[in-house]
Amino acid sequence: MPVAARSIGEALVSIAGRQGVRDDAEALAAAAVDGLRPSWVVRPGSIDQLSGVLALAHDAALAVIPRGSGEALELGSPPARADLVVDLRGLDEVIEYNPADLTVTVQAGVSAGALAARLAPHRQWLALDPPGAAARTLGGIAATNASGPLRARYGTLRDLLLGVRFVQADGVVTWGGSKVVKSVSGYDVPKLMVGALGTLGVLAELTLRLHSRPDAESSWLVRLASPGEAQAFVERVIASPLQPSRIEIFNGEMLKLLSAGSSGAGVAVSIGSVAEAVREQGERLGAMAKIGRAQIDALPDGFWTAAESALTCPPGWTVLHVVALADRLADTVGAIENAARTTAPRAEVRLSGCAALGTLRVLLGGASVAEIAAITTRVRQRIAAIGGSAVVARGTAELRKAVDPWGPIEPGSFALMRALRDEFDPRRVLNPGRYVGGL
Amino acid sequence: MPLSHAFLAALERIVGADGLVQSLEGRLVYECDMHTFYKGAPDAVALPRRAEEVVAIVNLCRHERVSIVPRGSGTGLIGGAMAPLGGVMIGTNRMDRILAIDLPNRCATVEPGLINLFLTRAVASQGYFFAPDPSSQMVSSIGGNVATNAGGPHCLKYGITTNHVLGLELVTGAGELVRLGGTAIERPGYDLVGAAVGSEGTFGIVTAVTVRLLHAAEAVKTILASFTSIEDASEAVSAIIAAGIVPAALEMLDELMIRAINEGTGAGYPKDAAAVLLIELDGPAAEVEAQGERAARICWERGALEVRVAADDAERALLWKGRKEAAGAVGRLAPTYLLQDAVVPRSRLPAIMRELAAIGARHRVQIANVFHAGDGNLHPLILYDDRVPEELERAKAANEELLRACIAMGGTVTGEHGVGMDKAKNLPFQYADADLNFMYRLRRVFDPEGIMNPGKLLPSHPACGEGFRPARPRVPDGAWI
Repeated sequence: MPVAARSIGEALVSIAGRQGVRDDAEALAAAAVDGLRPSWVVRPGSIDQLSGVLALAHDAALAVIPRGSGEALELGSPPARADLVVDLRGLDEVIEYNPADLTVTVQAGVSAGALAARLAPHRQWLALDPPGAAARTLGGIAATNASGPLRARYGTLRDLLLGVRFVQADGVVTWGGSKVVKSVSGYDVPKLMVGALGTLGVLAELTLRLHSRPDAESSWLVRLASPGEAQAFVERVIASPLQPSRIEIFNGEMLKLLSAGSSGAGVAVSIGSVAEAVREQGERLGAMAKIGRAQIDALPDGFWTAAESALTCPPGWTVLHVVALADRLADTVGAIENAARTTAPRAEVRLSGCAALGTLRVLLGGASVAEIAAITTRVRQRIAAIGGSAVVARGTAELRKAVDPWGPIEPGSFALMRALRDEFDPRRVLNPGRYVGGL
Repeated sequence: MPLSHAFLAALERIVGADGLVQSLEGRLVYECDMHTFYKGAPDAVALPRRAEEVVAIVNLCRHERVSIVPRGSGTGLIGGAMAPLGGVMIGTNRMDRILAIDLPNRCATVEPGLINLFLTRAVASQGYFFAPDPSSQMVSSIGGNVATNAGGPHCLKYGITTNHVLGLELVTGAGELVRLGGTAIERPGYDLVGAAVGSEGTFGIVTAVTVRLLHAAEAVKTILASFTSIEDASEAVSAIIAAGIVPAALEMLDELMIRAINEGTGAGYPKDAAAVLLIELDGPAAEVEAQGERAARICWERGALEVRVAADDAERALLWKGRKEAAGAVGRLAPTYLLQDAVVPRSRLPAIMRELAAIGARHRVQIANVFHAGDGNLHPLILYDDRVPEELERAKAANEELLRACIAMGGTVTGEHGVGMDKAKNLPFQYADADLNFMYRLRRVFDPEGIMNPGKLLPSHPACGEGFRPARPRVPDGAWI
């Protein structure tokens, strides 16, 4: 039966219900993205409603900004347009949890914290720990491919997302992947959706691979004089049979914040296994630290919780997500600190990252927009030759206008990315202008 | 349609006379992969040595509207590397160099024709290995592993090929040479590497691959446990996983397979065993020791008839012997078989095995099973005698019913072999029109003219996929526009 509506607002209400649509000044102001106030905020209560909302937006040529907790709304370029903010937190159902299969299917608005609580009684977890994860939605974590120290062992959502239901720009509900831990039937659509910022489809439902929590876990902090010594230590660990679940590097600033003394650099290593193996690997770690005459101390249980708040971006600060190479870790740390010191002498640089993979999370405070833009550009120049990248993962709209938050993309790859975007969202309904190269 | 003399001459100018196969007997070598049901010889086989030659071939074929089929070693099991419509086959066998080994960053860049095991051999002395280990690893090419996103017994712990590919150099169907990803673990933008791995040559031809290398485990422990029922063995599998143990491999053999192996290879499995479980643990020595004891204890607790633990490499090889020779051993039971690799959620293994027995009985075919129990990846061998009329038809009917049963339990039609010709028709069991339509459009982005490996991976449709048109939701009528 056709539904008659005199306005877009009414049409939205007919799809998502009176409670699901807000257009009052307060709600619109709160939902503004980079200063752009939307005309409506819609909170779909089902995938059908989400599909209806996107079909309407598509036909009415509205720009849609999907959001979860809002944690990553400062990722990417400021949007070109923003008519409709779609709040996905209404899709908050855990659809199917199969502990025996170590899989779970959730709607995209479920927070990582809510999922963790659901899994804990079975001693299972989604082994993914981006800073602030507990409050973030899983859809948001997937769309931004956010990760934390645990990626050293468990990878990112790229490795943990088995299947995905998403709604294309024209409202068509689509499924990719499977609900089992191993499948190669058809193209690996989930990979394409991870980190795509919802530009190929709005994530609605995720099937995730889980892990059992290890019997025992211990962590140690190795304090070293410099990033160079830290890299040498990390190389010894990588070349050994040890299987750390985290191997996180910290710069001196970050160590201070963690009340861990005043060394030039630190590496925190976690081992999760059966108790005997944890103890034994800890002893070997101690021996490796001694080779470099570094100080090693066991860390208290609450360390990673404390570290998470240290990793969290303070208000007004900027986050750079830098990807280099494991064997260029010290160089890259040096380049970042040097770029900051010479460009903005008052800047504070807190640095951490997965040392085994050469990824760094850089928190920058006390610097102006122009200074941060200059630091970003200099860091990019330093790591361009090794295929490295530096993405502004968080920062003011002003900064993300002054410098391309994504950085350059190799032209051949970019041509394919543009073709993908043109194929699946030619009208640029989803997050227009926010993604790489202004896509 | 035979290729013109002018076309063949142009092809020869690109790859040289020694890189072009034109004779009928030469081309027949390439008419099928290891799924010998599907046969189709290409009209010519080109064996380039460099990426530039691949670019030239693809552009020549585009210009002349000739389809292209990529091929590595031809060990695929899905009818992927054969030419149902003729055209040009591009064999990557002569592109088999290791371009770079970068141990500090634990990766290597290789050409696609390099044999999987050769990479591990090149880095083994320094303590590293390339993890994907399909049973064909001593002959299959890394390019072929990438195309099919190949798995193997040890992917339970280490993941399948896609988890080990960092970068690709690809000649797309549009004839563009693109570099996707690279040594750095990630970069901004869509994960084109993730999309291209497993695309079975439908996006283009890979001309170089950057793969991860892993540090070899310090210790390995192999345990063989026999049970009187599939249920007990499956429960042991679940209990091992629930205990937080992630074995490198967790393989199961059923009664028929045990009998065939016992008669064929003398592996010496207990006679009254209805299920044999092969458990391999690797990692730091202390972990392997503790988890090995625990896994063995779990097997005893679940009623194992016998639990053997290999004391050394020789014993380890003996425990694996039966498993590795399984496919050959069934030759004693029947002249030939259909093999597939559907997956069910691990917890449904006992249910699917019961279903499978019922399906076999219904269609009067014997089904022997050897499978990756840890991830629910079945490998039923549906036995038939091709000399008996209609046996093949019954085997096919049983196969299709089995695939549907796996999907009904929440599974997938292929866990590691891929789709190819063989399962393209089965994808609609698992995907709705909207899902298939999305995949068609994805393919078109990389191969706008549809020349790359046509007829593979996606079901054919009268309107070239446009027929898989998804229903859009209803938009409210009215004056809102």
